[in-house]
Amino acid sequence: MYKKCIARTQTFKPLHRSILAWLMMVKLSILLVLLTCSQTSATVFAQSVTIKGKDMSMKSIFSELRSQTGYHFLYLEEDLRNTRPVTIDLKERSLETVLDYCFRGQPLQYEIRKNRVLVERKKLSAPKLRSDLIPVTQQREVIGRVTNEQGEPIPGVTVSVPETSIGVTTNENGDYRISLPATAKLLSFSMVGYEKQEIPIPDNNVVNVVMQAQVADIGEVVVVAFGTQKKQDVIGAVTSINPSELKVPSSNLTTALAGRLAGVIAYQRSGEPGQDNADFFIRGVTTFGYKVDPLILIDGMELTSTDLARLQPDDIASFSIMKDATATALYGARGANGVILVTTKEGKEGKAKVSVRLENSISAPTRNVEVADPITYMRLHNEAVLTRDALGLQPYPQSKIDNTIAGTNPYFFPATDWRSELFKNYTMNQRGNFNVSGGGQVARYYFAGTFNQDNGVLKVDPRNNFNNNIDLKSYLLRSNVNVNVTKTTEVGVRLYGSFDEYTGPIDGGAGMYRKVMRTNPVLFPAYYPVTEDSKFVRHIMFGGISGIDYINPYADMVKGYKEYSRALMLAQFEVKQDFSFITEGLTFRAMGNTNRTSYFDVSRAYRPFFYQAGGYNRLDDTYRLQILNELTGTEYLDYSEGQKTISSVFYLESALNYNRIFRDKHGLSGMLVYIMRQTLNANAGDLQQSLPFRNLGLSGRFTYSYDNRYFGEFNFGYNGSERFHSSQRFGFFPAGGVAWHISNEKFWEPLSSVMPLLKLRATYGLVGNDAIGGPEDRFFYLSNVNMNDSGRAAVFGSDFTYTRPGVSIARYDNPDITWETAEKVNIGIELNLFNKLGIQADIFSEYRRNILMTRASIPDYMGLSASVRANVGEASGKGIDLSMDYKQFFGDQFWVTARGNFTYALSEYKVYEEPQYAREWWKSRIGYSLSQQWGYIAERLFIDDNEVENSPRQNFGIQPRGGDIKFRDVNGDGQITALDQVPIGNPTTPEIVYGFGFSTGYRNFDLSCFFQGLTNESFWIDAQATAPFIAYFYDNENSSSFVPQNALLKAYADNYWSERNPNVMALWPRLSAVPNPNNAARSTWFMRDGSFLRLKTAEFGYTLTADKLKRLKMESLRMYVSGTNLLTWSRFKLWDVEMAGNGLGYPIQRVFNVGLQVSF
Amino acid sequence: MKKILFFVLGVAGISSCNYLDVVPDNVATIDNAFTMRSAAETYLFTCYSWMPSHANMFTDNPAIMGGDEIWTHTLSTTLFSEFTPSHIARGNQNVVNPYIDYWSGQRGGKPLWRGIRECNIFLENIGKVSDMTDYEKARWSAEVKFLKAYYHFWLMRMYGPIPVMRENLSIAAGVDEVRAIVREPIDDVVNYIVELLDEAAVDLPDEVPFEVQEKGRITRPIALSMKAIVLATAASPLFNGNTDYASFKHADGRNLFSQEYDVTKWEKAAAAAREAIQVCHDLGMELYYYTNGPFFNQISDTTKTEMNIRNVVTERWNKEQIWANSNSRATQIQRHSWPGLFSTLNESGAMAPPIKIAEMFYSEHGVPIDEDLGYNYSDRFKLRTVTPEYRLYLKEGESLPQLHFDREPRFYASLGFDGGRWYGEGRYSDDENVYVAARAGGVANSHIYWFSITGYWAKKLVYFQNIHTNQQKTPQPYPWPVIRLADLYLLYAEALNEAYGPTEEVLSYLDLIRKRAGLKGVRESWSEYSRNPDKFTTQNGLRDIIHQERQIELAFEGHRFWDLRRWKTAVNAMNEPITGWDINQEDSENYYKPRILFNQKFSTRDYFWPIRENELLVNRNLLQTPGW
Repeated sequence: MYKKCIARTQTFKPLHRSILAWLMMVKLSILLVLLTCSQTSATVFAQSVTIKGKDMSMKSIFSELRSQTGYHFLYLEEDLRNTRPVTIDLKERSLETVLDYCFRGQPLQYEIRKNRVLVERKKLSAPKLRSDLIPVTQQREVIGRVTNEQGEPIPGVTVSVPETSIGVTTNENGDYRISLPATAKLLSFSMVGYEKQEIPIPDNNVVNVVMQAQVADIGEVVVVAFGTQKKQDVIGAVTSINPSELKVPSSNLTTALAGRLAGVIAYQRSGEPGQDNADFFIRGVTTFGYKVDPLILIDGMELTSTDLARLQPDDIASFSIMKDATATALYGARGANGVILVTTKEGKEGKAKVSVRLENSISAPTRNVEVADPITYMRLHNEAVLTRDALGLQPYPQSKIDNTIAGTNPYFFPATDWRSELFKNYTMNQRGNFNVSGGGQVARYYFAGTFNQDNGVLKVDPRNNFNNNIDLKSYLLRSNVNVNVTKTTEVGVRLYGSFDEYTGPIDGGAGMYRKVMRTNPVLFPAYYPVTEDSKFVRHIMFGGISGIDYINPYADMVKGYKEYSRALMLAQFEVKQDFSFITEGLTFRAMGNTNRTSYFDVSRAYRPFFYQAGGYNRLDDTYRLQILNELTGTEYLDYSEGQKTISSVFYLESALNYNRIFRDKHGLSGMLVYIMRQTLNANAGDLQQSLPFRNLGLSGRFTYSYDNRYFGEFNFGYNGSERFHSSQRFGFFPAGGVAWHISNEKFWEPLSSVMPLLKLRATYGLVGNDAIGGPEDRFFYLSNVNMNDSGRAAVFGSDFTYTRPGVSIARYDNPDITWETAEKVNIGIELNLFNKLGIQADIFSEYRRNILMTRASIPDYMGLSASVRANVGEASGKGIDLSMDYKQFFGDQFWVTARGNFTYALSEYKVYEEPQYAREWWKSRIGYSLSQQWGYIAERLFIDDNEVENSPRQNFGIQPRGGDIKFRDVNGDGQITALDQVPIGNPTTPEIVYGFGFSTGYRNFDLSCFFQGLTNESFWIDAQATAPFIAYFYDNENSSSFVPQNALLKAYADNYWSERNPNVMALWPRLSAVPNPNNAARSTWFMRDGSFLRLKTAEFGYTLTADKLKRLKMESLRMYVSGTNLLTWSRFKLWDVEMAGNGLGYPIQRVFNVGLQVSF
Repeated sequence: MKKILFFVLGVAGISSCNYLDVVPDNVATIDNAFTMRSAAETYLFTCYSWMPSHANMFTDNPAIMGGDEIWTHTLSTTLFSEFTPSHIARGNQNVVNPYIDYWSGQRGGKPLWRGIRECNIFLENIGKVSDMTDYEKARWSAEVKFLKAYYHFWLMRMYGPIPVMRENLSIAAGVDEVRAIVREPIDDVVNYIVELLDEAAVDLPDEVPFEVQEKGRITRPIALSMKAIVLATAASPLFNGNTDYASFKHADGRNLFSQEYDVTKWEKAAAAAREAIQVCHDLGMELYYYTNGPFFNQISDTTKTEMNIRNVVTERWNKEQIWANSNSRATQIQRHSWPGLFSTLNESGAMAPPIKIAEMFYSEHGVPIDEDLGYNYSDRFKLRTVTPEYRLYLKEGESLPQLHFDREPRFYASLGFDGGRWYGEGRYSDDENVYVAARAGGVANSHIYWFSITGYWAKKLVYFQNIHTNQQKTPQPYPWPVIRLADLYLLYAEALNEAYGPTEEVLSYLDLIRKRAGLKGVRESWSEYSRNPDKFTTQNGLRDIIHQERQIELAFEGHRFWDLRRWKTAVNAMNEPITGWDINQEDSENYYKPRILFNQKFSTRDYFWPIRENELLVNRNLLQTPGW
């Protein structure tokens, strides 16, 4: 009805003037209306009217009526110009009677809507018909029920007789009853979101209708920057997804993104609860600057990917990603990498509706890395020493190997399978989610709560009374309340809290996996059993070796636990004011929000006692235990405080919107947004980082559409950032676009049944990025000097007691550093075939300028203590994203939908400062993908030492031997150096990500499957992290706190170069007990294809039939089983291919899940 | 409702740019370092902080374990992911990512060019400090000039001809300006370093005024001694008329090494050494003698002589030490030179001098063992039973090789080995002696990773009062002695001999050192005991004597590595196999068989470090070191 109302007011003088002139006029109108209308909100609506006057103007009559009735008159001043004065004398009459009297003979008509009277020029062509005016000749009554494709009743469907004003709507049960003239032949059924149907009336006067959802619904609304647009008006590249498609049996929403949204490149590298966020990029990565990931806005608030991960699909009202310039220009300085916009649900008028979802899932690694057995480990370790140095010392005497094989004594001759000591095969996780929504005319609410529990697969030692397994509980509470303060003012308050409570091993799950992969299986058992000698020992006697802090992962796992607590508290206040009393279509909105993120962790642990077995007595099979760290071990827990982070964000946004359609054809809208944003970090680390992060911006959007056929849009963002020198502080980012709705053209009509929708779009514009350096590098225009650097201290004095810190420079000042800008072009097409198959495709290209990079011409002998950087880099990106969906119904019981997404995103270095590559053109990055890797071409393994001598000199720090990797001397200078590195493989960020799936339903059953894959990605097996026997440390580890010794992968043990079997194409080169930089150099040898296709999710559900539900007093009940990562197709078998180079970390999980969803 | 509107518009109206001006005025800049004396002092300390850590034998200092003087087993490299000097010793140096790269500051090296830049910043700005006296400004400047000179010298010793950074290049310097900086001829580099040292010497104090605060800071004797070292280095064959580098020249034909041998360089070195010695003597410095300690009056002269030799390195701030680096104190290096003595749980040091170093020491007569008329050199590996008169050196009753008998005191003071006495650690009398047990099953050879692969330990580096319990070893750190008077005497003797041939003065300085080591003078020893009694009378013969004396006296102190290079003898010495005892044997017959551990290779290119390949890509005019 409301829409109808707007449609009726679309009469306006044709305006062929410029938009500017139009804007002037709007202003004028606002002024006029403000002058003529006074406060109305508090007035009581009177029913009867008494009015008397001579030659009253229409305006004065309206004014009088308003003061008596409280009804609000909406009209345009100029419409009243041609009215004639009225002489009137009526007492205690209804408003309508009075109006009818006044409007007689006037070129005006009116309509009463709630408390408003809309006055407009009379439409001469369409005589107003009112049912009560139609002479009732012959009547008949038709009844029926309207349902959707799933057989659920649809209330509120308009059932009408075409060409008349006769119409009713369906009730709650979808039933209707309509009386109509016997002459009527057709009944029309219409409802927003569904295809309109006209059905002949059969003789039995019963018409049951199944409404079909509209594929391209012109009324569908898409969330765009700072507002919404009708889907048909959208010019920019915006993808939105039905939030229910994001439902996966996981507590992490980001894992559901890959392949489901055209334009998103996403992949997941770890399966550890709390650390399993997928990496995702919109249209790939097109900058080699600092921030490459998209801006995430949840209800207008900038949040992190962890906050996005915790969102529940049940609470999401809309999920959109903005990809091109027009869609993101409004975010000015922060939109260059794309924007993810999520809004949460609000309450709807109606009685309280409760819905509950409960899930329980079993989770297990998709694939475990296999290690060689302990005997092979010892043999190959001995071989690794001897094959390099015939004089070397063998780590394991033959007697130890023999005894281990014989299983002589499992504690003195241990053979430990560390993985099974530490990890279970599967774990159980629970998720619960409820929400309540409802409300009345004045206030509406939406409350939601979520509880997720994710457990790790670590074992717990029964001798400890604490839980060292990963146990991540996340709680979410959301309250969205909207209140109509006045008839035109709406206030919304959103409160949201997200809380993570974690306990887990001190090293974290991935840390434990990595430790297991770096532990020798034969040096000691996890722990020694209590024997007669040690029966008074009150602690666990962990295995160890004297003098060397070898990892005992079991001790590390059970010695204590870490707790962390992360909280996000968020409060938002929003005011929406409808200014249609000033001029139709004008609204104002202001929103302020603040949030606090806090994190801390605490570890509690005892220091394990380590024992070494010695003095083995073969005769009575006993050994003597020797304590190794009597002084440093403890039997009691100690604690250590970890990281503590607190940050606050304050954000203010106010927007003025204008949206109106004139003369049926000219759609105009305008919006101005003003934003302020501040982030403050409590423990920033240094002065410059402690200063607030601020943004200030004014953005605008202006659109014009003609007859729903031609669309134009202009956007801009004018943004300031605190990061830059005052001369560079503000950036202006304009964007514009046009669209053509071909299917709305007259000439298209013959084709409209084949292709009901065809739309072309094109946009162009600039977007910026101010996050060009990390927080430590925020103020490029300032130097960063640490006057108190203990790393640059010196010590003097006879007892070494006089020390002073030194001075260090972390950054040199450069006032010219400024925004990174992206120039984006997007061309899109949307089409629909037979109302069944919808296709949306976009071709895009992008050019980034001013990418911050380190100057390449600075030699070391200049002695600079910090690298010099400048906005000199340039890069480009291009690609396609495509989505398709298909629907088909077979009768009213069986339906199938299918959908597919495809994203292809390329990137390319355009300008990159490099050393002087005169002769070695292949070293230049120009023209290659941003994540292209350079490395050596591995030809094969050297046949023998002789071949090494006669090959180009190849020295990376250790002379190679036969069986080491032989590289190609690309530049032919007789030695292998960095100049021989060429671009190898595909980029490490996949270029193609796709997904496809189907859902089908028959009666109460439904089944859906979704496949996801990616391709054009290379990754490298980490030849150092997997190199057997060596001590490998990950980047952030303290190499003095423990000594790792890498495990031996079974795949390597099965296929390596040896003197007995000198296979020059073996998987692993000649063994080595020390790190071998030759074989670890990045080369094609360890390059692997990261492509895969996987059955990402499958779900089978059953919905209870309506009659049964009634007995249970429920609205709906659905039970389902689902799973993720069920099947994978890939050529890579060592570990789950999606983990790529991170294969030794916490594996990606395969999940089987049962769930129940109830609403009542 | 209008009120709300106005409120919101009002808030929005605060659109002033001030909102984005978050940076307060008082943000530190480099100028803050030169406003006050206390801040300038931190900058002075910053300049010092680039000083290479001389005692850090695992990364910073290539001279201790990067040559042939101390070896280590390969297993220890698995425990130290970046044990860089051993890679140099094993011939793994490379251009892609050089080991101990002081040019780029990687793989164990410090970025010394940064240090030089900061020295220049200090020198440019120290004049601005208001609350300092001119005297102090001059002193601090002189210290920084010394540091600048020393950092250049350190680079020159590694890379040969290097660019000279007289002044800093502006950050905004153009590409051409940057690339105009190239290696300068070695003589120019030396001249500049000497010039800086001369300037520094004028304003440096003879001794630091406040020892408790300043001991370890640079003084005049240090600068003068360093000048002597620099000049002697420049006069040595590697740098003086080295024709191996005839083709090492710039595109315009400028030679980087002068091709003419110039004897006056030795004369300058001799003069500089003489001046330095004179200044040291005037200040009361002298060769160290052990004069007091636990049980001092009860111990034998043999033990006292041993202590003369050990303590000159390990006793803090003794009178012989001209420059001890308080920023690099010997802790780890003591642990790793220290065998387990009491408990099988104890780790033993893995720093293992090879047999050739044991052979290098003189016989008890003070001449090389292969020259000694009374020493059966060819039977040196034959076993002999220790008799009681050797008890202050060797364990009575043990079967030990002839090599360990009848050697000079410096042999026993410098090396620990199976059956050798280890004086100290609570056993200070000559009666309760502890002997090292290093054969298989012995206390010093019971750990699976921490053991000496050769059977020797550098005892000299371990302070005798360190504590050693069942649970742990606790060394007392000492500042690393970079220059000591004996070094200067030996340099002076060397320079005199090279410049003027054998003279009495040469012998007199050698004899001072030999006397402290309990040996007779050169003339007497050679005349009486050597197969080659006239050796000291010729320049060449005396040169050999000086070289060997120097290597014995300064063993394990980080000199041999550089000396072999500057003498151009590394190519001989370091092409020999590294050998050690067969340490996994229990009985002496099998244990005392030399075993080859590694076949060391050294070629001409190894005299200098390669420059990292990347640096050459940034400036192609910078020449790569020949052979790399």
